[in-house]
Amino acid sequence: METNSVREASFMGSSGKEMAQPALTATQKNAVAVPKPAEATASRGGSRMLKRIFSAGVLLPVLAGVLFLGLWEFEFFHKIFDLKKYQLPLPTAIATTMRDNFSMLLSYTGYTLTEAVLGMLVGSAIGFLIALAATAWPRWGSGSLTLVAALNAVPIVALAPIMNLWFGDGIGSRIAIVTATTMAAMAINAYKGMAAIDPLALDLMHSYAAGKPAVFRYLRIRNSLPYVFTALKINATASMIGAIVGEFFFSSKGLGYLLSNSIKVAKMPLGWSCIVLAAIAGVLFYLVVERLEKVFIKWHPSQRK
Amino acid sequence: MKGGSIFVRGRLLPLFVWIFGLLLVWEGTSWMLLHVVETPLAQSKLPYVHEVLSTLWKYSGTLLKEGAATFGNAGVGFLIGAVAGASLAVLMSLSKTIERLTFPYAIASQMIPILGLAPIIYGIVRDEQTSRIIISGYITFFPVALNMLRGLRSVDPSALELMHSYAAKPWAVYWKLRFPAALPGLFGGLKIAAPLAVTGAILVELMGAQHGIGVIMLRNLYYGSSHTYMFWSTVIVGALLGIVSYWLISLIERLVAPWQPEFRPKGGSR
Repeated sequence: METNSVREASFMGSSGKEMAQPALTATQKNAVAVPKPAEATASRGGSRMLKRIFSAGVLLPVLAGVLFLGLWEFEFFHKIFDLKKYQLPLPTAIATTMRDNFSMLLSYTGYTLTEAVLGMLVGSAIGFLIALAATAWPRWGSGSLTLVAALNAVPIVALAPIMNLWFGDGIGSRIAIVTATTMAAMAINAYKGMAAIDPLALDLMHSYAAGKPAVFRYLRIRNSLPYVFTALKINATASMIGAIVGEFFFSSKGLGYLLSNSIKVAKMPLGWSCIVLAAIAGVLFYLVVERLEKVFIKWHPSQRK
Repeated sequence: MKGGSIFVRGRLLPLFVWIFGLLLVWEGTSWMLLHVVETPLAQSKLPYVHEVLSTLWKYSGTLLKEGAATFGNAGVGFLIGAVAGASLAVLMSLSKTIERLTFPYAIASQMIPILGLAPIIYGIVRDEQTSRIIISGYITFFPVALNMLRGLRSVDPSALELMHSYAAKPWAVYWKLRFPAALPGLFGGLKIAAPLAVTGAILVELMGAQHGIGVIMLRNLYYGSSHTYMFWSTVIVGALLGIVSYWLISLIERLVAPWQPEFRPKGGSR
């Protein structure tokens, strides 16, 4: 039997001895592992282990990525899938295009990111308010949650033209699209966080004769914070998608506009540059939210090392 | 607190009131825009509900056919992506090397605006059916893989020890313990991916396909205000496709993994 997660090994304590694990130090073998929530990544035992996992965990994917790019550059994929260079441009061509249009690409990235951030802030705020209302008046509030969840299943593509009719083709329509796409994740997650409170804590609040507002202020809202950040992380990606898809149709600026236009006039390298920048911007945005989470909910068990 | 009638009164009534209220507000606002405020393009901005419904009814054949084309392709891609994602999750849980190789990319792909790839894929493939299937599959792949892996890992350690004490073979551990434990995670991933797969398919259609709900949506949008009701009908069909996809997955989940806490009847108040 071979388990491969380090976390499980630490869960199983001493019964995991027969597993093919790298040598643990004596202290770790007997250490009682603290179970972590599912969101936590696998815990790492000790500095030697850390080094090993780190080196293998970084080196291997990097090597794979380099190999992939190499095969792409030397037209291996073109041969296999019978593609022409104008269909799938080479990495070097994409890099050259990025260098040549750097200032334009940078300003467009900023524009798209602005749309995404503003829309996400508005959408998340509304979503949080919906969750508050749904928790405060459960009988009628749950219906609004269902409606918001239904809105979440509506394809962004269908929303884009409507928002365009309502808010014109400026930045406003994209902010509205992003707002609509980020509302649901926040509403549902924040509601979960406000509902999933420790019943003992609630009993304590009741024994103090705390009213509804106090229960919300000291217990529910605080308990919902980790869930709120989970939603923000989901929304960081969703908002970039919303902004870019919104720009596909009625825009004269931004990465999405440039992307769809480049494809239409068969400037594939430029299109790919947009994808690369959108990916980088998306990852940065996500990492910023993650950083904020570390700062704001240091006290929460899920943040423990 | 049990019994059908109370359940209906407790859960469904508010929802129906919400939906009905929303439609009333919609109809009222539509009338306001048209006759009181007299905004330009009032019916395009918010058409009468009854007009949209009658258009839906009138052209239901066409809408159904095109919707089915979209849904079918999205569904095929979704299935392929789901199977591939689940297989990758199993491989990742079996082999440390594969996990190290793919996990960072799986996480990174979660942060990347995947739908932005739709035009690129269409540009490479140039075939609407294939590119619809590819984009839906690609969108489905990573959420399913990540959530399934989390599920496979979420096995109760004492249950694992029990399997050990029975000297269970690895495949028995997987079959009897890990797969059932992974089902909630798997369905979580599927539920995230299903509406996205539909969105991806529609997006590809907007890039210049011949069939599908996205095509008539765009066409009626460009014809201007005379086709407003038809355009709104396509939007509603698109929304319904997304909702139905989510609802289908939820239904299957109830049948396959009915033991989850959220399916239990709610007891008590609060």
